[in-house]
Amino acid sequence: MGDGGTALRRLSYGQKVFLLASLPLIVAMAVLAILVTQEAREVSEREIAGLEEQLLSAKRAELRNYLHIARTAFGPIYNNALPDDARAKTRVAQILAAMTYGTEGFFFVYDYDGRNIVSPRQTWLIEKNWAGLRDSEGTPVVDRLIQLARQGAGYHEYVWPKPSTGREARIMAAVIGLQDWRWVVGTGVFVDDVLASVAAARAESEARVTRTFLYIGLVTAASVLLVFASGMVLNLHERRLADAKLKALTQRIFETQEEERGRVARELHDSISQLLVGVRYTLELARRRFGGGDARAGDSLNEGIDALSGAMREVRRISHDLRPGVLDDLGLGPALQSLSEEFARRTGVEVAFETVPFRNRLDGEAKIALYRIAQEALTNIERHSGATRVQMLVRGTKSGAVLRIQDNGRGLPDAGRSGSGLGLRNMAERVERLDGTLRILSSAGGTVIEAQVPLTHMLPPTGRREGVA
Amino acid sequence: MTDERVRVVIVDDHPMVAQGIRAILETYPDLEVAGTLSNGREAIDRVVELDPDVMLLDLNMPQVNGLAATELILERRPDTRILILSMHDSPEYVSTALRHGAMGYVLKDVPTEEVKTAIDTVMRGERYLCTGASACIAPRAPGGREPLTSREQTILLELAQGRSNKEVALALDISVRTVETHRKNIKRKLGIASTAGLTRYALEHGVLQGTGR
Repeated sequence: MGDGGTALRRLSYGQKVFLLASLPLIVAMAVLAILVTQEAREVSEREIAGLEEQLLSAKRAELRNYLHIARTAFGPIYNNALPDDARAKTRVAQILAAMTYGTEGFFFVYDYDGRNIVSPRQTWLIEKNWAGLRDSEGTPVVDRLIQLARQGAGYHEYVWPKPSTGREARIMAAVIGLQDWRWVVGTGVFVDDVLASVAAARAESEARVTRTFLYIGLVTAASVLLVFASGMVLNLHERRLADAKLKALTQRIFETQEEERGRVARELHDSISQLLVGVRYTLELARRRFGGGDARAGDSLNEGIDALSGAMREVRRISHDLRPGVLDDLGLGPALQSLSEEFARRTGVEVAFETVPFRNRLDGEAKIALYRIAQEALTNIERHSGATRVQMLVRGTKSGAVLRIQDNGRGLPDAGRSGSGLGLRNMAERVERLDGTLRILSSAGGTVIEAQVPLTHMLPPTGRREGVA
Repeated sequence: MTDERVRVVIVDDHPMVAQGIRAILETYPDLEVAGTLSNGREAIDRVVELDPDVMLLDLNMPQVNGLAATELILERRPDTRILILSMHDSPEYVSTALRHGAMGYVLKDVPTEEVKTAIDTVMRGERYLCTGASACIAPRAPGGREPLTSREQTILLELAQGRSNKEVALALDISVRTVETHRKNIKRKLGIASTAGLTRYALEHGVLQGTGR
């Protein structure tokens, strides 16, 4: 449960970092892509419109030229003819019918009523009335041409079958009106090639936009991949470091454990066993003396009892060294009191100890941690500080329990530097494990070590139950 | 009184020790071993029934240890003379035992004659402290204020949570007068006059917060 929780938290932290790095990138790239394509589309749309206009005006100029030529060709006849000169009309019609050009080019003539007079490439139109004709898209054709001719001249676009293939295509027609004869004279060019070029240009620009999009997408994907890969590498590196640290720690724990076991085994063997062997010898001696009626049997028994007392004292000493019983039975305050008295007796350093009137309010972990910290601090004071006075204080606060040890020695050699001594690191690790804090203040005037453990390590009250451990 | 012998009850969780002491004490004609019990809980429950003059209490016992048991036994039967039997020679044990109401403190590794001497001493109404160990020469309270006993600590917590003497008495199954006595002692030891002051003190020293979670 706890393991899963931390794993999840760590994973989501990694994800957070990854998202933090890649999300802005992706957003920026997306905005960039949209802006670029919009801009590109606008530009190409303008270009295409320009192109279309250019092509169409070229077509119009072409048509104007054709009409000008035609007008020049039949001008002398028309100018000199009367409105009802049938001969002149026939001649003009013949001239215009003969003026075909290119594969599709031709002139057409309608009168203002809609009757076709000239249509050299589509002769079936001739002599029929086409008023009201609409093309396949519904645009009026002949009526509009007549209207334009009545106004003098003009252009009209509509759909018309190509003479060469009979297939419909867009045509642009230019007409002029011969008002005396009530004639519409005009010619047209098919503009499907213009439309095709415009469509081609549009497709080209779309392809360009798509390519741009693709490039931006590729760059984004590559960047995100890079971020992800570097994140993975960092993570892996971090994990390897943590693993190595854990390994070293485990190794240290094993070593300490083995060392401690070895020490206890040696103590048991060297002192207790030897003492007990001695007891056994004296008791055996007493038995032999009893058997022999020796009066010194009582002396032997007394010797044995004394030796036994010695063994008991030894056991007490070893067990106290392993773990002071006071700590478990009476709590941290008395244990520290005992520790500081013993310290003062051994070293001659004056120790002032102060505590609260409460007993055994800390859980086992916190008690042993603070006790070992005090032990470590006193060891440091004895070995390195040259202090003559130590103040030790343990008390409860709103946020937990605090142990404070202050001396008047020469301070730590390089306080604040990382890796400052195994002892200090041990202290820090102990407090860290309890989610507490360790503060070390050092100056030439002495050292202050303050360890705090949070309220979560205070025991709930034994309350209604009479058992008070 | 038809029987002038001193009634003794031995409480120790190690049968070898309990039986050993019993065997030795039974060799004295003026002592009567009224029973051997194996833990503090039993001692509290049976003290009235066994009616001992002197109770020999081991310090380290499962369930209720000797110190806590001392207070609770005295709450039920105040004229019991309690002698703590212990392996521990640290002065903190001695002073704590006395503060919890024990009349004497005897180390387990002294000659058994000393146990008899201790019983005789407390029967005269005097304190008996073990000989030999340095701890026993001058026991005194640790630095700072005089510590609260286990029972006083329990009662402080109850009071600090706003309970009345009567409620506390009911909860702990003791008389209101006993609670009143404890309350007076707590106030004296902490130097606090009012109940509100007790609550504030408990809060400021992180005693009450530990009650949460």
